[in-house]
Amino acid sequence: MLDFFAAIGRGTTRRFSTLGGPARFAFEAVAALPSLPGAGRRVALRVLLNQLRFTALQAVPLVILLSGVLSFVVIQTTIQQFGGLGAGDLVGTLMVVTIVRLLGPLLTALAVIGRSGTAITAELATNTVMGEIRALEGMGIDPYHYLVLPRLAGSVLSVTVLIVMFDVVSLSAGWLATSVNQASGGRYVTNVIAALDTSDVVLTVVKGILFGGVIGLLPCYHGLKVSRGPTEIPQAVTRGTVAAIASIFIITALLMLLFRA
Amino acid sequence: MSVEPLPLVFEGIPLGLLPGAGRGGSDPHAVFSLEVRPHETVVVLGDETSGVDRLAALALGLDPAPAGRALVWDTEIASLSRVRQLAFRRRVGYLPAGDGLLQNLSLRDNIRLPLRFGSDFQPDDIEGRVNVILAQLRLKAVAHFRPAAATEEERRRAALGRALAFDPELVVLDHPFDGLAERVAAELLEVARGGEVGEGGRRTVFITGQDLPAMLRPRVERLIRLGAIPAGARA
Repeated sequence: MLDFFAAIGRGTTRRFSTLGGPARFAFEAVAALPSLPGAGRRVALRVLLNQLRFTALQAVPLVILLSGVLSFVVIQTTIQQFGGLGAGDLVGTLMVVTIVRLLGPLLTALAVIGRSGTAITAELATNTVMGEIRALEGMGIDPYHYLVLPRLAGSVLSVTVLIVMFDVVSLSAGWLATSVNQASGGRYVTNVIAALDTSDVVLTVVKGILFGGVIGLLPCYHGLKVSRGPTEIPQAVTRGTVAAIASIFIITALLMLLFRA
Repeated sequence: MSVEPLPLVFEGIPLGLLPGAGRGGSDPHAVFSLEVRPHETVVVLGDETSGVDRLAALALGLDPAPAGRALVWDTEIASLSRVRQLAFRRRVGYLPAGDGLLQNLSLRDNIRLPLRFGSDFQPDDIEGRVNVILAQLRLKAVAHFRPAAATEEERRRAALGRALAFDPELVVLDHPFDGLAERVAAELLEVARGGEVGEGGRRTVFITGQDLPAMLRPRVERLIRLGAIPAGARA
């Protein structure tokens, strides 16, 4: 009987330490911020700009493609299936509910995980295996300052901007699709404006920060945790990607519960 | 009369308890103690089971000592707060085994990185210092190469250049000559020792490795060979 409870205890401890590792890592990353040396800020800023170029700028075509196609599919399906019932007039509201509040942030986050999260894990895991992290520490450079914080900040900024872009492109493509389907473009715009409120803006920013934080931190954590050798790199990429995707969905569900959005 | 602290001291480090040590050999209870005096070049050699691979990391506080302690100028780096550890390590030149160059930076940027990150020098001063190092290590022609495009010798030269970026009084070189020709090793050792520093002495150099090219042996003040540690000696 005692063994049974001990086994449950061990499993629970393992689960919590699985969660505790990234939490501790996040805390250490944020706690390292005040000790970033003045000269190091300029270097970290350059790394941040590189990160923004890769994570945000180079992701723009993909985000435009995803958002355009998604909104076209949603509107086409709605008008074809429910147009006869008069639902065509509600397509603007539908776009806000499905894309701005749910799919936009989710798909943007998934796209960034696929492009940048995997790259971050692979890069940092390679750095670790090649002894570069140890060399940095040996030189007196904190890997949190040089590697983690710029990627975290870059990820938060990129995801927030890309979510806004996804929403704007989707709603614009929706107007285009409405017009193609001989529905009223004016009514579409009116419905979109009526459906949007301040909480949508707040939630978009909150999701950008939270999703960006997760996409910045978890891949870094799993990349830097590699210890054995090159064969562990693909496993780290898988762990980082899965953890980030799972976290994004859990955060979405929690925010829905909290904000009823 | 105040006594100058020694640049590097190892006190009672049980090498058999270090990770990776203790797989074959003769002395299960060996503890390692060593005093490295100013301006001295000291080499510690041993095979991979002897624990020699860990000494440089112990000195810099990158690994904790299982017992005993490693002191740099009377300071046990491993016992400092993280911020002070990092600041303290900037006073020591460190060439890690396998060079540890950042693969996404050119050789020039690798040498420039510690100066840009850890000093308040003006950009022109940094460029000047980097150019001197590149010239000294004969890297000017390949300075724009990424490590993957450079030869092993060029990478090792760049890693040494990075270690010397702050012109440190103490240099810790972990397996610096592996795979290099004797002539190149001799040249790098001379650069590491650095000629005139401070009050006219050479740098203090601490080197670990599995072997030392014959040409270099007369040039070092002390050469210590560690015994291997037998299997089962580790706790």
